Amino acid sequence: MDIDDILASVDRGPGASLESTALDHQSLTRFWVSERAVSEVLPWPTALMDRMMDRVRMQIETIEDIAASSADVPPPTTNAQNANHNPNLNLRLSILQTDLARTQYIIRSLLRTRLAKLTKYSMHYLVKLSSTNQNLSQSQSQSQSQSQPTPEDSVPDISAIASFDPLSESEASFVHAHQKLLASHYSGSFMGAFPRQLRRLDDNAGGTSMIQGPETREVVFVRCLGAEVPVLVVGEGEMEEDVGVTMRMGDVWVVRWEGVRAAWLKGEVELL
Amino acid sequence: MAFPLPRGITPSEIGFLAEMEMVTVVPRQRLEGLELLGGPIEPLVPPRRASLPLWLALLLKRQRRANIMPPSWLHPEPLNLILEVESQHPDYRDAFSPPPPLPGQPSIRDDGLAPTARPQYTPDGNRYYASPPFLPQNTAQTEGFSSRDPPALPFHWVEMGNMLLESASDDLVEPDQIRRLLKDLREVRLAKMRAGTDVLDAAATGGGGVALTGVGAMEVGEERGFLTGVVDNLRKIGASKEQARREQMAEQRANGGYDGAQDEEEEDYMEF
Repeated sequence: MDIDDILASVDRGPGASLESTALDHQSLTRFWVSERAVSEVLPWPTALMDRMMDRVRMQIETIEDIAASSADVPPPTTNAQNANHNPNLNLRLSILQTDLARTQYIIRSLLRTRLAKLTKYSMHYLVKLSSTNQNLSQSQSQSQSQSQPTPEDSVPDISAIASFDPLSESEASFVHAHQKLLASHYSGSFMGAFPRQLRRLDDNAGGTSMIQGPETREVVFVRCLGAEVPVLVVGEGEMEEDVGVTMRMGDVWVVRWEGVRAAWLKGEVELL
Repeated sequence: MAFPLPRGITPSEIGFLAEMEMVTVVPRQRLEGLELLGGPIEPLVPPRRASLPLWLALLLKRQRRANIMPPSWLHPEPLNLILEVESQHPDYRDAFSPPPPLPGQPSIRDDGLAPTARPQYTPDGNRYYASPPFLPQNTAQTEGFSSRDPPALPFHWVEMGNMLLESASDDLVEPDQIRRLLKDLREVRLAKMRAGTDVLDAAATGGGGVALTGVGAMEVGEERGFLTGVVDNLRKIGASKEQARREQMAEQRANGGYDGAQDEEEEDYMEF
């Protein structure tokens, strides 16, 4: 390792240290498994994903550099070290590429899972987003009470929102654009012909909400990682009412997602 | 359709996860250390043993660049022992044999000791407890594991066993006997899994759950569709009962004083 390498390793900035590489990879893998296991969209780990994307970008550059350098070296090498080095070069390249492809697979699968959930429950997540800025969305919904309601009006406006939790910023703008298109399509194809009071997409007349959300009572497979984790009994208003069975460290249980969600956020259980 | 796969990771993805397990290899050629996205890889110097992720070990094995040391549990004697426990031990007639302990979890021999979970911290300051596939549960018997621990099947035993039998059977001790033992274990455990469907009702109630401690990743993957389907249907059947119970509880809590007042009124009436 010469001075350039040392400088380069410093230049890579925070989050590039070796231990954190392994730890981030493990966190990403676990997050991907969790995202696949539940039907709601989990909180987007912004910092982790930023670091992973940076590393993927850097790794692609490294691989391109190695590939370029191998093309530069003429096949009949005079240098003894080069001749020794070359057979390993292809192996190194294939290892690096396999590793990159594996990481990219996880990221791609993770993003696609989230997109699938977002398109399925787009209205639910838009309402959730806009309700985080309660006063703002209320003033807007009042100004929307005009004479000619259209389905597009029921799509909450999220342009002035500060927190995108649980989505990432690009996911939020995607889901908003998606729902706008869908609403204008509905309006153009059939909803425009409906009576005025039936045109909203977030209708909850008769006590039944038209907005479908993810089912949090579905069961999941979890492994308990903390010393002892109780399963909560969650009531109507997402209030924790009571405590059910207690899981011990290392145990694997089939339980309701809503009962272990809080423990999952704290990292004390792992979804399988 | 952004993502066509069902909830929960599929068997091929479980295999993909199992390929992240670390195994011990004896390299046949030198290879300098590499910085992968999954963490750094130590330099390979024959004949020194090294720990590599399974996917890399298999890649090297297929090119005859390394030999894989079988995991400590993947020998005929430990498998025989586990099979005996699994099929004859009275304590495990309805349960799976105990899994290898997590770091900080007391071994099965010192039962009664309180587990001490010592989390690592991610760069974002979240707690992180290591778990399979990121624990050295499939390395050859070296440092780190006390020989006191009885042999146990790791979380990814089905995949690990199959992949090693397929690609590295010449590195295993008596591969045919191992294959037969693994098949027997699969059958014994599958029968237990099926017998366990009787108690699934417990997982359908809030706060309840069914313990599957010791289950393997592939066994979870096989049963996920069936099990979650059954429990979700049971939950829907029991939904009105649960709702009634919840309302009753809420009423009791809210109207505790009201009931008393009513009684007093009645008493007053009696006096008149």
